[in-house]
Amino acid sequence: MMGKVRSKIDIRLPESATAGDVWAQFRQVERITMELTQSYKYSLGKVSRFFIALENRRFLATRCPRCGKVYAPPRPLCPNCLSVTDWVELSGQGVVKTYSVLHFSPGSNDDVRALETPYVLAYVLLDGADTLFPHLLKAPPEQVRSGMRVAVAFSDEPVSHPIHLMYFVPIRGQ
Amino acid sequence: MSRIPVIAAVGATPVASEHRGCNPRDLMTEAVLDCLADAGMDDLSAVEQGLASYESDHFNLQMTLGAILHDTIGMIPKPNVRIEGGGATGAMALRTAWAYIQSGLCDSILVYGCEKNGRGVSSRTANQLFALSADVDWEMMVGGSYTGFYAAMIRAHMEAFGTREEQFAHVAARNRHNAGFNPIAQKPMDISVADVMNSRPVAEPYKLFDCSLLSDGAACLLLATEEWARRRCPAFDGRAPVYFVATGCGSDTMRLGDRYPEITNFRAKQMAAAQAYAMANISDPMREIDVAELYDSYSGVEIQAVEDLGFVERGQGGASVAGGAFDLDGELPVNTSGGLLGRGAPVGATGILQAIEVAQQLWATVDPRRQVANARRALTDTHAGIASISVVNIFERRD
Repeated sequence: MMGKVRSKIDIRLPESATAGDVWAQFRQVERITMELTQSYKYSLGKVSRFFIALENRRFLATRCPRCGKVYAPPRPLCPNCLSVTDWVELSGQGVVKTYSVLHFSPGSNDDVRALETPYVLAYVLLDGADTLFPHLLKAPPEQVRSGMRVAVAFSDEPVSHPIHLMYFVPIRGQ
Repeated sequence: MSRIPVIAAVGATPVASEHRGCNPRDLMTEAVLDCLADAGMDDLSAVEQGLASYESDHFNLQMTLGAILHDTIGMIPKPNVRIEGGGATGAMALRTAWAYIQSGLCDSILVYGCEKNGRGVSSRTANQLFALSADVDWEMMVGGSYTGFYAAMIRAHMEAFGTREEQFAHVAARNRHNAGFNPIAQKPMDISVADVMNSRPVAEPYKLFDCSLLSDGAACLLLATEEWARRRCPAFDGRAPVYFVATGCGSDTMRLGDRYPEITNFRAKQMAAAQAYAMANISDPMREIDVAELYDSYSGVEIQAVEDLGFVERGQGGASVAGGAFDLDGELPVNTSGGLLGRGAPVGATGILQAIEVAQQLWATVDPRRQVANARRALTDTHAGIASISVVNIFERRD
């Protein structure tokens, strides 16, 4: 089957041609495997400080000096005012506004491939912020509710993408 | 004479989970030949401009695909342009073509779109590639996926308005049922609301049958001035003229969380609709539009869309959808083609396929089982991501 082509998956021969098939001479189909693997020197850019702060167990956001809006995730530029923002530190506590329970993992990186399904993707309004921060909420899915209080927890394990230096956990006693 | 563009002719391949025997250029070839037959034309020598509509270099495994398609279908050396707008690509391509004609840049333009989103890659790879169209650092790398983002959004809608899973299950069942009357549909199914409810969870509250399809397919549409169409397109005089009368576009933040507190509905869609309605002099869309193709990437999205397009009040989408208002025998039939849930969604072709469906509805040439009687005015609704870009196009039959 493979013949001279290492990547060959299969060849399909044409079925008996139907009358009026203009493609009758083009019905042989060969499929091969094509692989493309890339690696990038990927800059985290102007929000790098957020990720560096996570290594020191601190949670940063940015605040627009003109309109006062606080962005978490951080934005270096306030899209409302086009002002360059200032870094601020937040407590890391907040409230779940909406969430989804994912039963499959897209496997976006090694950290995500290591997750057990189902897992919870939560949108959290951090105290002092004006936007919702999307991240994993490590809690049994059946115990998650919109409105529940959560806090940022910091990972002690090495990670492949620095966003996984943090995740959310429920605040005990609620 | 008016420069409002007319739809001169249309063509498409069947939509399938895998067109095993076709690469993107083969798909495009088949759709263009179908369009030529529809036009009654022998070749494309009279057509002045080409416009390529496709989203993904990754899925198609080819950059500058637009140049290849243009070459393949014999449009060399005429001008060419490629349009990309995520899920809205096909509708944005048509909107761009509308402007090319209206501006006088050309009198005729072939809009051709295709995509290989089907089984060429695994579901996991497909999800990863689509997640690249989210915000990579903040949404994709945490483990998010579009199913998850849409699911969080419909949960917010449920909690704000009391929308129920059975209501969006109605969309999942109805659109797949409609697909049964569309010969090019990928996955017609006769399933019940209970079947949808019992399908396995993917990203709660969405379950397997709430999710649209990954597809291979191609579509093209010849847009022209009426004068050009009457002179050059033999089929044009044989059916009622269908005009592309209005187009609107809106945008929103990439990340759902940045929209807080507006996380239940699509602001971009509201803006696109407002622009298109103003252009088409529509004040009561529920009554003034006869048939529509809505972007049902997930079943609940149709509930959000009927609100954002102004068909019903905000919060009433679930009840009106489940009550049958948008079924084939309802007040405003939507997704008569089967939509993304039943017909399928080869991304670069999807918006074009929506326009083809409503054009054929207005020509009254579709299968009688899905034909909307006396349809005069139609709408297509198409968006990218979770409606970071939204396009609404409106078509009218005038005879």
